[in-house]
Amino acid sequence: ESILSRIRAFEYSQKNAVLVPVAALGVGGVLLCWLRSGHKMKTIDMGDGWWGSGERPLKGKEDTSIRPFKIETSDKEIEDLHQRLDRFRFTPHVEGAAFHYGFNSTYLQKVVAYWRNQFDWRKQVEMLNKYPHFHTTIEGIDIHFIHVKPSYVPHGRAVRPLLMVHGWPGSFYEFYKIIPLLTEPAKHGLNEGDVVFEVICPSIPGYGFSEAPHQREFDSIATARIFHKLMNRLGFKEYYIQGGDWGSRITTNMAQMLPQSVKGLHLNLVFIARQSLGRLICIMLGAYVPWLVGFSREDARRFYPFMQKNVYDVLRESGYMHIQATKPDTAGCGLNDSPVGLAAYILEKFSTWTDKSFLYHDDGGLESKYSLDELLTNVMIYWVTSTIVSSMRYYKENFSKDPDLSAHNRVGVYVPTGIAAFPQEIVHVPRAWTKDVYKNIITYTYMPRGGHFAAFEEPKLLAQDIIQFVQKVEQL
Amino acid sequence: CSSLAGIMLLEVLLVLGTLLIYFLFSKKKEETLPFKDGWWGRGQKPVTKEDSSIRPFKVETTEEELSDLFRRLDQARFTEPLENSCFHYGINSMHLRKIVSYWKNQFNWKKQVEVLNKYPQFKTKIQGLDIHFVHVKPPRLPEGRAAKPLLMVHGWPGSFYEFYKIIPLLTDPASHGLGDEHIFEVICPSIPGYGFSEAPHKKDFNSVSAASVFYELMLRLEFNEFYTQGGDWGSLICTNLAQIAPNHVKGLHLNMVSVSKLGLTHLLSVLLGRYFPGLFGLQDEDVRRMFPFWKKGLSRILSESGYAHIQATKPDTVGCSLNDSPVGLAAYILEKFSSWTDMEFQSLEDGGLERKFSLDDLLTNIMIYWVSGCIVSSMRFYKENLQKGIGTQKHEKLTVQVPTGIASFPNEILHIPQAWAKKKYPNIASFHFMPRGGHFAAFEEPELLAKDILQFVDKVEKEQLWKKK
Repeated sequence: ESILSRIRAFEYSQKNAVLVPVAALGVGGVLLCWLRSGHKMKTIDMGDGWWGSGERPLKGKEDTSIRPFKIETSDKEIEDLHQRLDRFRFTPHVEGAAFHYGFNSTYLQKVVAYWRNQFDWRKQVEMLNKYPHFHTTIEGIDIHFIHVKPSYVPHGRAVRPLLMVHGWPGSFYEFYKIIPLLTEPAKHGLNEGDVVFEVICPSIPGYGFSEAPHQREFDSIATARIFHKLMNRLGFKEYYIQGGDWGSRITTNMAQMLPQSVKGLHLNLVFIARQSLGRLICIMLGAYVPWLVGFSREDARRFYPFMQKNVYDVLRESGYMHIQATKPDTAGCGLNDSPVGLAAYILEKFSTWTDKSFLYHDDGGLESKYSLDELLTNVMIYWVTSTIVSSMRYYKENFSKDPDLSAHNRVGVYVPTGIAAFPQEIVHVPRAWTKDVYKNIITYTYMPRGGHFAAFEEPKLLAQDIIQFVQKVEQL
Repeated sequence: CSSLAGIMLLEVLLVLGTLLIYFLFSKKKEETLPFKDGWWGRGQKPVTKEDSSIRPFKVETTEEELSDLFRRLDQARFTEPLENSCFHYGINSMHLRKIVSYWKNQFNWKKQVEVLNKYPQFKTKIQGLDIHFVHVKPPRLPEGRAAKPLLMVHGWPGSFYEFYKIIPLLTDPASHGLGDEHIFEVICPSIPGYGFSEAPHKKDFNSVSAASVFYELMLRLEFNEFYTQGGDWGSLICTNLAQIAPNHVKGLHLNMVSVSKLGLTHLLSVLLGRYFPGLFGLQDEDVRRMFPFWKKGLSRILSESGYAHIQATKPDTVGCSLNDSPVGLAAYILEKFSSWTDMEFQSLEDGGLERKFSLDDLLTNIMIYWVSGCIVSSMRFYKENLQKGIGTQKHEKLTVQVPTGIASFPNEILHIPQAWAKKKYPNIASFHFMPRGGHFAAFEEPELLAKDILQFVDKVEKEQLWKKK
């Protein structure tokens, strides 16, 4: 009894001496954390890089000149292409294949015939050169970009810089139809309000006319940094950025890296990678009670049936991603040597990623949305620059460092964000989930039609969404 | 796009879940697999009876074929590799250039065609397709002895040519110091869609279809009882054949085993097998080859199966350029001969290719794909077999009652322990850990494989195992 009473006595007297300081520390600590987190926004470290061949030169400053550039072609180049088209070795497809086994070889023969006899590369080169092109050296490699300014700016109107980034298997050329809608909206019947843009479309290093990195580990962070340096070199301190496919990833990284430079981020594709038990439950419940888990009706319509749209369809379409993320040099080798093979590989994506039902069409539905001239011009950019292998390496460099692309999700994106969700995009991310990463969504639009290559396929719809987003941001 | 890894994990979990339920509620089935009849030729099946003659065949080449090849090799467009990348990004184009140079200047296709023609080859029409096969009889048979028929089936990206070094060891073992108790006559067909066998014109030609076609072939050659041997797709086709016709297949020998029915025990083996091997029936060598499981199992599957993923979904797309660019074709195929022979070869600048194979042998195999134009149809086999998912087809749920011999090579892509193989092959007569060698066993280690086949057949014959099933 004496022991117990002694313990009790000890407890009582020591209680205040021990508990109070502990409580104070606890509360104080929490307060401190809360205060600090409120003020300090996490960003991705900018870092630095060198991608030229050999060692980085120790002395001498990098050449920062911006050199005008014109795409050129030659008789030799065209003749070599024609010879390869002529000797293409065709494999008959199985009966009833349509596009289920990949690009239908019967239709491919028609495409090749057009390419050989009617497609005029010289004319396309002239068309490509209608916008001013430039080269500038950043981190050891030559960066290609087009820079289009409005031809006429009404007095007092501000021109907003807009960086637009392409993806794979696209190129800067995807933006050719949307550029005039953004630099001269009034001329094209778009209600621009106060908003007019000058558009900069770079080629990702390793794509098109941008030099390919010679060193390993060139990922979207490095790309984001290089594009910031580009905009800086062009004299811009604050700018809007837009992207889909890899462009979405790169522009997101840009917003995470230097939020003070990004006035607004607009995306037509969102990557969300957080898988968890909670998510699993949301998925299962959402099929029956979407409102309970924060899904809108349109979300539910696009997201379900879950297994079909998010698992089977993705598995069916991601073979290219798997091989490119593991063996890009092997996968690209034949494509750099056979223009027909390259066209089949690239155009298959322009078919299925524009509309999944195109799998059932013998001609892949390609010409219902695009002209052969447009499609082949994009393919020719990969062909004449021999960049298919380096474009594929981008998958390995990004996925091996970050297998589910979630490393920077914690950082969050705080710049004003606008999302255009196209119905035929490969995977639909419900609106509620985009808040995982994008903390400051100003506009989210369920687009009425269109697929993965939004700027190429539905330039007017995309332009309208970008303009209304920017208008809202300007009013903030 | 949602992450690939996350989706794959979800799919794996869901498949495991359903399989677990199935596993718990299904009873062991010992039924046979039905023979799959079909018509794979162009258009409608004709009313008249099919021509079942067996016609001799010789591989031929022309000047035109060669000059076309050389022109394409001359005009090949290479992409500079990244600095210090070895074979980590796939085949290294610096080394590929050297191989192409050899191909143009030293490789003698005409001579290789003669090599190919040294064994008698034939063609015969089965189920609407012209089936090519090599049929080698023993050069000498002691008095009163009969040769045992042995069907050997290749895989991808191999061909009947893979067996050219092992054939003499099996048809004439005595001359190679392997004794003369068991002498074989060897039949090596080309899978329809590979090499000189016609490609199916219809959908759904899978391993069971191939097994049915080969079964008809053996019957047409008047073999009532025979042995079968295979690796890669050959392993699956021979397995199906043993399931279709257990009374005709005396023994099944495999140098690669695949299990598609994974359950709770497999999961537990993977998680705990390293610490309690005995509990899961794993031997020391099993543990040595399987663990660390992330590195040797899962990670390897992910990093090496890109080709299978794209071939199982878009074969016509991926094969298109390979049928048009011999360099692209060589790159694609040679990469497998590098990593599947030894995964460590990826860290070598030359991919270790010539350590185990001669360039002549490697290029001859590639030339078979090139001159027959079969790369696309060879890839379709992946789609026809895998498009519905792994573990969903009927034959994957049935066991194999025929006496089975397994030669387990250390550098095979994935190691399957005997404990796991037993579930599918309950009648394992021999299971040996081979001392060296990888995926292309017959090509790389013909003597080791021949010895294992011989000891297996010896066991089956001596213990009359085929009568006990």
